[in-house]
Amino acid sequence: MATTTTTSGVYIHVIEDVVSKVREEFVNNGGPGESVLSELQGIWETKMMQAGVLSGPIERSSAQRPTPGGPLTHDLNVPYEGTEEYETPTAEMLFPPTPMQTPLPTPLPGTADNSSMYNIPTGSSDYPTPGTENGSHVDVKARPSPYMQPPSPWTNPRLDVNVAYVDGRDEPERGNPNQHFTQGLFVPSTGKRKRDDSSAQYQNGGSIPQQDGASDALPMATLVGDTLCITFVGDKRVPRDFICSSSKIPQVDGPMPDPYDEMLSTPNMYSYQGPSEDFNEGRTPAPNEIQTSTPVTAQTDVIEDDEELLNEDDDDDELDDLESGEDMNTQHLVLAQFDKVTRTKSRWKCNLKDGIMHINDKDILFNKALGEFEF
Amino acid sequence: MATFELYRRSTIGMCLTETLDEMVQSGTLSPELAIQSMTEALESQVKTKVTIKGHLHTYRFCDNVWTFILQDAMFKSEDRQENVSQVKIVACDSKLLTQ
Repeated sequence: MATTTTTSGVYIHVIEDVVSKVREEFVNNGGPGESVLSELQGIWETKMMQAGVLSGPIERSSAQRPTPGGPLTHDLNVPYEGTEEYETPTAEMLFPPTPMQTPLPTPLPGTADNSSMYNIPTGSSDYPTPGTENGSHVDVKARPSPYMQPPSPWTNPRLDVNVAYVDGRDEPERGNPNQHFTQGLFVPSTGKRKRDDSSAQYQNGGSIPQQDGASDALPMATLVGDTLCITFVGDKRVPRDFICSSSKIPQVDGPMPDPYDEMLSTPNMYSYQGPSEDFNEGRTPAPNEIQTSTPVTAQTDVIEDDEELLNEDDDDDELDDLESGEDMNTQHLVLAQFDKVTRTKSRWKCNLKDGIMHINDKDILFNKALGEFEF
Repeated sequence: MATFELYRRSTIGMCLTETLDEMVQSGTLSPELAIQSMTEALESQVKTKVTIKGHLHTYRFCDNVWTFILQDAMFKSEDRQENVSQVKIVACDSKLLTQ
């Protein structure tokens, strides 16, 4: 094949590979059968040709049609790239098997989840034991009740993320919270946790109590609907778009003991820059609700105002309008994996690999890519 | 069997998705398997190296996914060069996939 069709060749190879692997599924497991598989491949190849990325005769294709050309590329892309949420499938990427996205309307409940876990080891050693007592829910609940956790379904994916943050000391508790969350909300806290004194207000019964603090700074910002909570922790200006749909879950803050903050700094290893202090300074994802680890709510309000003011200019309205105005599919796109992303002052370098670039209506595949950007 | 749904947004991925959607009535195959195959094949097949330079307009790191928006970027491949006024780069952590 000519050089220009190398991409096409790769695609053909991919399609064939996929089809061959799937053929077993189709035929052996009583699936749709070979004919359906062939039809699948044919349609797939047809669409690829219509998209202009696949060219040349395909031996298996039984539905060869003339390629209308590039313009269809946009049409094909529209249904999928029209929404912002699809474009940044952060949580999806990481946890495709997970039915729930980690995010949650706010990261707060999740952080509460983390925070509760953090406190557990320090608060008391009783928590691990309840975890083993799966049978006696009632008794066990008395202890984990202070969790104040949101419903379990999404805590599970949450836990997966938490694993990355916490070294594993929370694992004993994980089995616990899942079982008792839904009921734990209604059990008064027993004061086992450090924060219980201040968390009495959490026992709202129906609402989801929440504690904030440095936990908000958790890099595991979550994908919330169509927005992203950025949790870039660094000494630079914090990325904009702190649009964590924070207005959905009422939040009550409480004093954050220092150890809590220290523990929270652990997950920051996740990001490229360690300290969570930047977030404590006031750069919180959702200025409206997520607050720094300030014990005083009033102070937090002040910070909110400041942040709102400060954040006003962060959003590049021009770019936002541009992004939302023009179809996202017309914007050139690169999908890849990154090996390393570094920054020196305002100079960014990133090592990408195994990527597909769609620029200038062309698909270019690459094994490695070195990017140097100036911010 | 974790795969990056990243590639679903590529042309090949979306074509496959559309095809699968059409095939739903006639019986569904396992989408995960198909997409995983696509990912594996993609990773083993691409052999090109590209250089990217540009002005970084936006950067975002969320859930281990970097999203960059570049302006006036230049993509230099082995034998060709592409210039774009604006491009979005979405990159997942390769370490997560190999876990």
